[in-house]
Amino acid sequence: MAGIIGGKSVVVVGAGIVGAATTYFLSKRGFHVRLIEASAPASAASGAADGAVSVASKRPGPMMTAALRGIALYRELEREGLFAGLFKSRPTVMVAENDSEVESLLGHAAALAGEGMRLRHLEGDALRRRLPGVAPHVRLAVEVFDEGHAIGYEIVRRFIAASGVPVERDSPVTGLAANDAGTSVAAALTAGGAVEADHFVVAAGGGSAALLGLSEAMRPRKGQLVVTERAPALAASLPGSLMSCRYLLSKDAIRTAGEASGRRFGLVIDPLRTGQFLIGGTREDRDDTGNDHDAVGRLLAGAVRLMPALARLRAIRAFAGVRTAIRDGLPIVGRVPGFDNLFAAAGFEGDGICLGPLMGREVSRLVGGEAADLDIAPFAPGRFERRNLVA
Amino acid sequence: MARPAEIVCDALVIGGGAAGVSAAVELARAGLRVELAEQRASLGGAYHRQPSGTTATTSARGRRQWLRLTAGLAHFAIAPRLRHVFLGVDTDGLGLLDDREAGRVRTVRARALVVATGAVERILPRPGWQLDGVMTAGGLQMLLKETGEAPPGEILVAGNGPLNIALAADLVRLGRPPVALVEAGDPAKNLGAALRIATFPGLIGEAARHLARTGFAGTPWLRGATVTAIERDGARLAVSIEDRRGGSRRIHGDMVALHDGIRPNDFGLPAVSIGEPIVVRAGDCREVLGIRGAEADGIAAAREVMALLSGTALHRVAPEVSRQRRAQALLAELFRPVREHDGLRHLPDETVLCRCEGRTVGELRAMLAGPDPIGLREVKLNGRFGMGVCQGRFCADAVGEIALAARPDLAAGPLSRDRWPVRPVSIAALAAPDESRGE
Ligand SMILES: Cc1cc2nc3c(=O)[nH]c(=O)nc-3n(C[C@H](O)[C@H](O)[C@H](O)COP(=O)(O)OP(=O)(O)OC[C@H]3O[C@@H](n4cnc5c(N)ncnc54)[C@H](O)[C@@H]3O)c2cc1C
Ligand SMILES: Cc1cc2nc3c(=O)[nH]c(=O)nc-3n(C[C@H](O)[C@H](O)[C@H](O)COP(=O)(O)OP(=O)(O)OC[C@H]3O[C@@H](n4cnc5c(N)ncnc54)[C@H](O)[C@@H]3O)c2cc1C
Repeated sequence: MAGIIGGKSVVVVGAGIVGAATTYFLSKRGFHVRLIEASAPASAASGAADGAVSVASKRPGPMMTAALRGIALYRELEREGLFAGLFKSRPTVMVAENDSEVESLLGHAAALAGEGMRLRHLEGDALRRRLPGVAPHVRLAVEVFDEGHAIGYEIVRRFIAASGVPVERDSPVTGLAANDAGTSVAAALTAGGAVEADHFVVAAGGGSAALLGLSEAMRPRKGQLVVTERAPALAASLPGSLMSCRYLLSKDAIRTAGEASGRRFGLVIDPLRTGQFLIGGTREDRDDTGNDHDAVGRLLAGAVRLMPALARLRAIRAFAGVRTAIRDGLPIVGRVPGFDNLFAAAGFEGDGICLGPLMGREVSRLVGGEAADLDIAPFAPGRFERRNLVA
Repeated sequence: MARPAEIVCDALVIGGGAAGVSAAVELARAGLRVELAEQRASLGGAYHRQPSGTTATTSARGRRQWLRLTAGLAHFAIAPRLRHVFLGVDTDGLGLLDDREAGRVRTVRARALVVATGAVERILPRPGWQLDGVMTAGGLQMLLKETGEAPPGEILVAGNGPLNIALAADLVRLGRPPVALVEAGDPAKNLGAALRIATFPGLIGEAARHLARTGFAGTPWLRGATVTAIERDGARLAVSIEDRRGGSRRIHGDMVALHDGIRPNDFGLPAVSIGEPIVVRAGDCREVLGIRGAEADGIAAAREVMALLSGTALHRVAPEVSRQRRAQALLAELFRPVREHDGLRHLPDETVLCRCEGRTVGELRAMLAGPDPIGLREVKLNGRFGMGVCQGRFCADAVGEIALAARPDLAAGPLSRDRWPVRPVSIAALAAPDESRGE
């Protein structure tokens, strides 16, 4: 069997940021990788995301710890040159517009500081000086330092180019086949035939549910975003991305105005390297990638309320992506119980750009037989009941 | 559930040219509630609209056509929504109109859409085409109409097709004959096509008149020739021209007008659909058929909508449309470029391809040359081709062509999907309060 002789081949399913990162780190370790993709690299969430590489938006706990490590890896890969020109270092500025938001922002800032994040509170004149474009009714801003931004599809492309692995496009994996003993995965099944390997990594975003038998635990969460024309002067007046506190609320299960329709509105105004603004986003319990006037209108109305000068710009593009959310709010990362050579990394919801490179590296360690570098126990795939993994 | 601000109708017609107006009238005749949206301040489209906002057409036949169409609008009391730019259809099936007058986006709940947005000029990339002083022939023609005079300096007209002859003639009329008219085809030699075109009086008559005027003014008409580069030379532009035998020469000018034909204006527009809302296309935006074809095609589109609404599929047959299709084919033959099209292989790497984002042909070729078989959408996202404010209007065709020349295995497809907004739209207009939107 190939596995016994070489011991070095891996099939990675899915060429989003997680699959691309996994491929890169496995190649560096000398594995022979086949990267099999249903359509094209970054064609799903990784190509339709805002790219906050951010701790600010995380809740204390395993996700915040992971995010801190995720940012550190971005900086490391930037220093090494791999991410040269792709990582924009900048703070995240969280703002509160009313009493209840001030209260939740103060609490959140305390939690961030507790994790060792550098931050400062801005009020009154200091707030106006630092954020001249922000509406006067904004009561409190918390500037969280040492954060950044990266564009998902650019990172994906960089990883793939550096790995030297040609992506096998337009070939959905329809199932995984077990060996006779039922202890290992023997092959990934595609229309072009069965692809054998020693190890298998499922990093297929929303497509992972079917392959891993985890449909019960995963659900789609659509997000709509808008891109403006270039406005370099206005973009330069913002030190970093502007995040409404409502974003935190939208991440929680807390009910807000749009909740009845399964739709919540977060608000992030992100000045891009190009001088454009990226404005997002919704959280909707559906999995299409269209835009509707109602959502876009509400998003932009919120953005203009926060930063009135945006009203003078034009929107040039709207798009939507689908995040893969997990029932308990934590991703799935690790070896899949019952199989000694199957690994999963999926379900990163709104945090996969930040965490993708890190999780790719963690998975490459697991495949290489090493222990993970991060405590991934909370992300264990075994915490959910599985149905019918293998075809 | 209709929202208060929503416009509700049976059919929304987009574009107030001959095709859109004739479709609107025909739909109203059948008893449908019709809305007609036009982005400009007046109806008329490319042929009937005059810059002053009036719509007087020069030819008697044209005037009769426009009188007939506007009488129809009046008869059925169709009040066009002017300065309403169509942005697309959203996921709720709502048509979106950017009401420039009111500064807000309005939603339209329609059972059917007739898209009649006309054609746009096709401009092939050439080294130097992004320089100041280079514009499209159609743009220059509009300027002449609007100001009644030619901009200062010497003008060179280049490209392919009858519009360039019309522009040259306009310049002659204004006492400012172009320094040269460079034409990739050789209509003078294509006698067979010219003779057959004579059976379509409207077409050849005008071209011949234009030509006579240009010829008399002594403008050199360089046929079978192409502009290979435009460079800045002091305050002027130096234009390199290659003839059919490969010989080259340079002509100086202050301004260059380029035009390589027209193509349907369908960037990002909703795909034709038989589901609700039904979407059909009419006029130049479906197929470039000229002014007579546009009116006939508008009527045919309206009948198709009516059939689809009543649940029957109708095969569109319109004798006038077929006739104009033959005429356009002859015109294309008459102006067929002398040199074989080479998929833009001749373009040097440093040629700017995407003018909004300043991306070059060489950058595109490099992206396609790697070992990883990158696809068109990846080219767009990572190369920023077609990502600028023009949303690919100027470069999408060329990007596709160069990509296919470099990598024949690529799955051809549009660079941009049908996404609203198809035009940049003011954020204030999108964010304008909608009574239904509780804050
Ligand atoms: C609107 C929006 C905003 C976001 N903003 C941020 C942000 O600011 N910061 C942040 O960190 N994250 C953000 N995210 C989240 C981030 O984009 C995702 O978490 C991340 O891209 C997930 O990467 P992935 O590789 O797991 O999945 P994906 O990018 O979805 O990739 C999965 C790939 O697998 C392929 N695939 C699926 N099924 C199969 C199969 N059966 N066979 C083969 N291939 C298959 C798919 O085609 C796809 O290419 C945002 C997401 C959205 C939608
Ligand atoms: C200079 C010139 C000379 C011509 N001479 C002749 C000739 O001699 N003989 C001949 O047969 N043909 C001629 N044509 C071609 C003729 O004009 C067209 O075939 C005809 O106008 C097509 O009609 P249409 O209704 O399909 O499109 P158009 O007349 O182009 O009308 C389209 C309308 O849609 C509007 N529109 C576009 N996008 C939007 C949007 N997003 N929202 C709202 N409105 C929108 C435009 O403003 C325009 O009014 C000429 C064209 C030009 C430009």
